[in-house]
Amino acid sequence: MSFSAIQIILVFAFVFIVAIDQFDLLESLYQPIVTGAVIGLILGDVQTGLVVGGTYQLMTIGNMPVGGAQPPNAVIGGVMAAVFAIASGLDVEAAVGLAVPFALIGQYMVTLLFTAMSPMMSAADKMADKADAKGIVRLNYIAMAILGLLFAVVCTIGLVGGAAAGNALTAFFDAVPWLMSGLSAAGGMMRFVGFATLLRIMLSNDLWGIYFAGFALATIIGYIPGLSGSALLLIAFVGIAIALYDFQTRCAMKSAGVGSNGGDEDGI
Amino acid sequence: MASNTYKNLTPAAKLDKKTLNKMVWRSCNLQGSFNYERMQAAGWLYSILPGLEKIHTDKDDLALSMKHNLDFFNTHPFLVTFVMGIVLSMEQQKSDINTIRAVRVAAMGPLGGIGDAIFWFTLVPIAAGICSNMAIQGSFAGPILFLLIFNAVQFGVRFFLMSWSYELGTKAITLLTANAKEFTRAASMLGVFIVGALTSNYGGTTVALTIENGEAPIVVQSILDGVLPKMIPLALTLLLFFLMKKKGWTPVKCIVLLLAIGIVGALIGLF
Repeated sequence: MSFSAIQIILVFAFVFIVAIDQFDLLESLYQPIVTGAVIGLILGDVQTGLVVGGTYQLMTIGNMPVGGAQPPNAVIGGVMAAVFAIASGLDVEAAVGLAVPFALIGQYMVTLLFTAMSPMMSAADKMADKADAKGIVRLNYIAMAILGLLFAVVCTIGLVGGAAAGNALTAFFDAVPWLMSGLSAAGGMMRFVGFATLLRIMLSNDLWGIYFAGFALATIIGYIPGLSGSALLLIAFVGIAIALYDFQTRCAMKSAGVGSNGGDEDGI
Repeated sequence: MASNTYKNLTPAAKLDKKTLNKMVWRSCNLQGSFNYERMQAAGWLYSILPGLEKIHTDKDDLALSMKHNLDFFNTHPFLVTFVMGIVLSMEQQKSDINTIRAVRVAAMGPLGGIGDAIFWFTLVPIAAGICSNMAIQGSFAGPILFLLIFNAVQFGVRFFLMSWSYELGTKAITLLTANAKEFTRAASMLGVFIVGALTSNYGGTTVALTIENGEAPIVVQSILDGVLPKMIPLALTLLLFFLMKKKGWTPVKCIVLLLAIGIVGALIGLF
């Protein structure tokens, strides 16, 4: 089954939008239940699109992008599964299987973009120094457009080249396994630069103990599997208690200080 | 070194509803320039810029405010307007910059778990579960209903949190100005405590190195965990802190170092 130019353009435009939507916009258009239906509409088989989208959705419910982890990308997965099911009349399972290489490429694309955007933050710093509000706006829109384009191109390749194209694309990445694992290891470490920058400003010498206390508490709670979701909330409770105690003590000391001075003057 | 207080310390006029709403819409693109170093930082700045531009009419003050609002930032995208409201009320009152920074860090952390619980573990499974079955039975109402439910909740939460936390912040700050110095210290304590927690909670770096030892190969990571779990995230953070504070390294230089460690490490089987 081949597709008309209009269909290809529509898929390109739709993927451009949902790729951005996976992190921005409505953050819901990208869900397979929606993409399956729309791809079905574009390719002229709404029924198959709905079934594939619904099935893929049920599969991904347990696989949400929680806490910054990147599963093989469900956006491309959903789109390509619908495309393959409609184009080759495969059942849903098989279509989802064919879509897996594309979902992997989607994940690589996200890793590459998030890595490449890290040094761009220094450019953003320079814009801030000049109070260049337009520059910050532009930076965000450009990053979003790049994400949309990357995904749209990959899906268009899949649409035109079929499942074989997916394997060819992943073969490229498979040839240099150290590149992707190196990048994702580096990506996982880059947040420490962000933390260190915060500490450089916030950490006065008398607060070192507090820093290690926060680290220790989080590490302890991290070993309790049932608390993974509420860990930071619990930690905030403890942190607030410590900070509040300090605040109240110092306020009391301040007013007591004023009081005792008054006492001295009274000659007691 | 950047100044810690704004030049113009006269509190700005309260932000009008239109500006607040504009920022709610912008908050949808919080992750527009997401990256591994500062995560949502530039998207956060983009989201609150309409308010900052209204508040800081002095260009130097706007630059100062933009600069500190580019610090590491990560919170739940659907709950971000809660942090926005509080930070904007503090900016409006021209609070001490370190206080704003500390409150922002303290507020962003806990929201992640709450938001995941509400949206990804509750709303999406229920809404998508019901609607998926409708779609599988061939009903186009499935996807439409899903979008309606999800976005009604999402935007209800976004708009509510923005106006609520902005009012809350404005009230709280008036109360706290009497003890501003003590509050700044307490807020910094909380901020540093949270960054300590994030170092462990967000720090997932481990090594995959094993040393051949016949029947029982030695797994380096489990030895490290025996000494101190999350030792690598802690050591890297402290190393980068040292490089930036004592050696004057820029963030870009640090990123290049980490890229080199990552790729060389992957080549020799460290990761």
